[in-house]
Amino acid sequence: MFIGKKVIAKILYIPLFMLLLYGCDQHPGKKVPDEAESTLDVHTVSVWAHAGQAAERRVLQSQVERFNRESVNTQVKLTFIPERDYNAQVQAAAVAGDLPDLLEFDGPYLYNYVWQNKLVALEALLPQSVRDDLLPSIVDQGTYNQHLYSVGVFDSGLGLYARKSALQEIRARIPSGADDAWNLHEFNEILKKLALRDDDKAVLDLKLNYTGEWFTYGFSPVLQSAGADLINRDTYQTSTGVLNSEAADSAMRQLQQWMQQGLVDPNLDDAAFVAGRVALSWSGHWEYAHYRNAWQDDVIILPLPDFGKGSRTGQGSWSWGITRKSSDRSAAAGFIRFLLRTDEVLAMTNANGAVPGTRSAVEQSRFYGAKGELRLFADQLLQGVSVPRPKTPAYPVITTSFQQAFQEIRNGVTVKQALDKAATRIDQDIKDNQGYPFISR
Amino acid sequence: MPRDLKRQDCLNAWFFMLPALLGLLFFVLLPFVLAVGLSFTNLRMGSPLPTEFVGITQYQRILTDTAFLHGLLNNTIFALIVVPVQTILALLLALLINQPLRGMVVFRTLFFMPVVFPLSLVAVVWVLLYAPGPQGTLNSLLEFITAGAWQPRDFLHDGAWALPAISLTSIWQGVGFQMVILLAALQSIPEELYDAAKVDGANKRQQLVFITLPQLRNALIFVVLVTTILAFRLFDQVQIMTQGGPRNSTTTVIYEAVRAAFASQQVARGAAMTVVFFTIVLLLTLLQRFLIKHEKAIE
Amino acid sequence: MRNRKLIASLFVYGFLAVIVLGFLIPIGMMVAGSLKPDERVLLEAGTLRGYLPAEMNLQNYRDVFARVPFMRYLFNSVFITSAIVVFGLLVNSLAGYALARMQWPGRDRILLVVIALMIIPLEAIAVPLFYEVTLLGWRNTYLVQIVPFIANAFSIYLFYTFFLGLPRELEEAAKIDGAGAWRIFFTIIVPNAKAVFAAVAILTFLIQWGSFLWPLMVTNNEDVRPLPLGIASFYSLPPLQWGDIFAFGVMMVAPVLLVFLVFQRWFVKGVATTGVKG
Repeated sequence: MFIGKKVIAKILYIPLFMLLLYGCDQHPGKKVPDEAESTLDVHTVSVWAHAGQAAERRVLQSQVERFNRESVNTQVKLTFIPERDYNAQVQAAAVAGDLPDLLEFDGPYLYNYVWQNKLVALEALLPQSVRDDLLPSIVDQGTYNQHLYSVGVFDSGLGLYARKSALQEIRARIPSGADDAWNLHEFNEILKKLALRDDDKAVLDLKLNYTGEWFTYGFSPVLQSAGADLINRDTYQTSTGVLNSEAADSAMRQLQQWMQQGLVDPNLDDAAFVAGRVALSWSGHWEYAHYRNAWQDDVIILPLPDFGKGSRTGQGSWSWGITRKSSDRSAAAGFIRFLLRTDEVLAMTNANGAVPGTRSAVEQSRFYGAKGELRLFADQLLQGVSVPRPKTPAYPVITTSFQQAFQEIRNGVTVKQALDKAATRIDQDIKDNQGYPFISR
Repeated sequence: MPRDLKRQDCLNAWFFMLPALLGLLFFVLLPFVLAVGLSFTNLRMGSPLPTEFVGITQYQRILTDTAFLHGLLNNTIFALIVVPVQTILALLLALLINQPLRGMVVFRTLFFMPVVFPLSLVAVVWVLLYAPGPQGTLNSLLEFITAGAWQPRDFLHDGAWALPAISLTSIWQGVGFQMVILLAALQSIPEELYDAAKVDGANKRQQLVFITLPQLRNALIFVVLVTTILAFRLFDQVQIMTQGGPRNSTTTVIYEAVRAAFASQQVARGAAMTVVFFTIVLLLTLLQRFLIKHEKAIE
Repeated sequence: MRNRKLIASLFVYGFLAVIVLGFLIPIGMMVAGSLKPDERVLLEAGTLRGYLPAEMNLQNYRDVFARVPFMRYLFNSVFITSAIVVFGLLVNSLAGYALARMQWPGRDRILLVVIALMIIPLEAIAVPLFYEVTLLGWRNTYLVQIVPFIANAFSIYLFYTFFLGLPRELEEAAKIDGAGAWRIFFTIIVPNAKAVFAAVAILTFLIQWGSFLWPLMVTNNEDVRPLPLGIASFYSLPPLQWGDIFAFGVMMVAPVLLVFLVFQRWFVKGVATTGVKG
């Protein structure tokens, strides 16, 4: 009996050591070996995408299927990564040298990865004709240090959704474009009048229920509209004097006032506009489908109010980049070219309501074409009303600092204090990184 | 003969210890030593810049950082709320369940159920319970109990209520664990002690104070220490429910450390924070070992 | 006299019942919410109607299976957690015994080190550990989620404390018979230590089942990810689909709850042992 137990103990040790041996045998990232038929020379392209809205995911999935059917010797293997942890995951993988061949980057997070030297320039991999068809904002977003590192299939639109009927009831002027957007005085009047007719006085939805990047994307245009900014864009070395300037202070104080006066709906169920509790919703292209579903033709899109120096809005969205680690870059580029075909661009943007990333697609889009309901978004991008978020590897710190400042402002902290703190933090980080010098290899 | 036996004992002991020692060395001690070392540098994850030695800069920065200091304060307040409340509640429940009544096992089971939930799931459910406005569960419950006198609050976004809200969540999840331990300790108190006391004329309250509590001393100390250490490790609920809370009112040491290391990629800064954390908890543990009787291993 | 006792026991029952109801509210809400359409969950959260949903359906459960490979996640969680528990029991009990009952140079110092290591939480060493396992090439494997957690200072301490309390006569008798340390351990000590083995197994299981931060950092591949990461898939752009999240939660907790209900006495006895002896 006891011999048996002793043997059992020894036996149990064996698997332990085997585990260790097995572990030493592992190769990073190759846990499931891909069956590459050497005779057919099939290239497998590993792709990561963010798990966004259901419609977006479905379209991307079907695009992958179509591509795989069509192209015999390149097969795409797609992995979805939850959106909330997306950047953290990519960062961990980048450090571990475990990135896929092709993956998405959320707007300005791209530049930090370029700085880390993880991406390859795309000029050689995409023909000139394809690049010429891209919207200038897309090219702008993907270019850093004179090279194109990423390409977006779509760009974003940010504006003020409104119910026309509610505005007509209070006899408000309805702007026709960014040029004649409401100024602050007008906007405050409109808010006041709407509040008089509203039960809970909350008439504006700022998507306060969102977390993360939304706050920088949605509200840094306010800074720019007031003449301030997130960082000094001449040198990209300091935020002090720009983020905590007088103009920034007064702009954010205006936002704080709206929140403290009870004019803003907390929007916990994300349905303030859809349920009719508010007449105005400060939001992006992704809401168009829901809003239209709820209110049909009563939904109109207006430019954001002018905080002094003209209405400004945001731009930038997910874009695709190819990693240095990729063993077959032209195969990966082949998938990008597929996604940029007009049909494919429209398939995606019809599903998620975003602005198509190529001129040909914009023309053919029923939403963004000349008479489209969402034409404002496209115009804002084409006419330079939209401002890209700062193109610097310091972006992650800039955005977390601004997000924090926004939360503090929302909770009643003195605006100047919050902005000062954010600016100091950004400056410190840039200094710590020696100004993010571009280290060429 | 005895010397051979001792040598045999020694060899065997090393074999017994070996896998555990290797594991602890490689996966706990080594990373911790690395973390300490890193705290004196400026390492950032993913940076192409070379890492430099910066002495105590990280420590200087975190000890003057309002968020970190607030985190330390919050951990302390949290421990001061949760440890007594949870322990007293657990003791109370244990005393009640210890009564010789039918069906007490059912209660014991029900109170223990929350312990089985992963903290992250607990946090998610309680986010909904704390929903602001009159539809929120807790708000409507309080409104019902106070017959309408209660004003609905946004617990998780209110500077005064956020930390207590998180405390309640932890208490809910942890009280069953403590209760079971105290219950077992209660049940192992010899009856004779109580009989003797009754003969001496002691009433229920005197029995409680002079017999029950002293007998529970070890179990109580154990429970208090474990809960205190866990209180300083508070992270999951903060990350899911408040992300540091309105104006840092719910941030904690570990939350700041994780945020520094992963959100801002400032690995060295995060490392410094965890070293400070370790020092504090080590001191607390040493304190406990003074209070408890020392068990003696064979000499 | 009997009346007083009756009133007292009614009081006890009543008091406990009220507290228990309070305790069960979150659990009840989770279960009820998992059976309701997503939009209604938040709306009805504060009402009694929230617990008696008019239109109960299993749609959320179907959504979960459609959206994520739930069975795979479940398998991964079970596999990883069981491996940690099983290997942990072996490795840590041996160490605890050696510390409690054997003589060897450096024993007391090692004991102190073990106690000090108990305090270090995973979050403190996560990043250096991450670099370590990356160097080893263990990313995206089961290995990286299992091996670092097998040796555990707290488990060793629990075993140590328990073995200290065992009567010495147990081993004396076997030693006189000439039995070696290994034989003593497996034939005498282990059978007499079922309570602490159960306790450590259960505690380890509960802790590792909910592990989130580490798998998040070291895996991208759905093939090897555990349940808590699966729930993260539902945290995309709002509106959060509470119904789906709760369905996932119910399914995540149900296996553990079931095991608990069946092995209740062991659970409780095991947990109690740690505290009484500690």
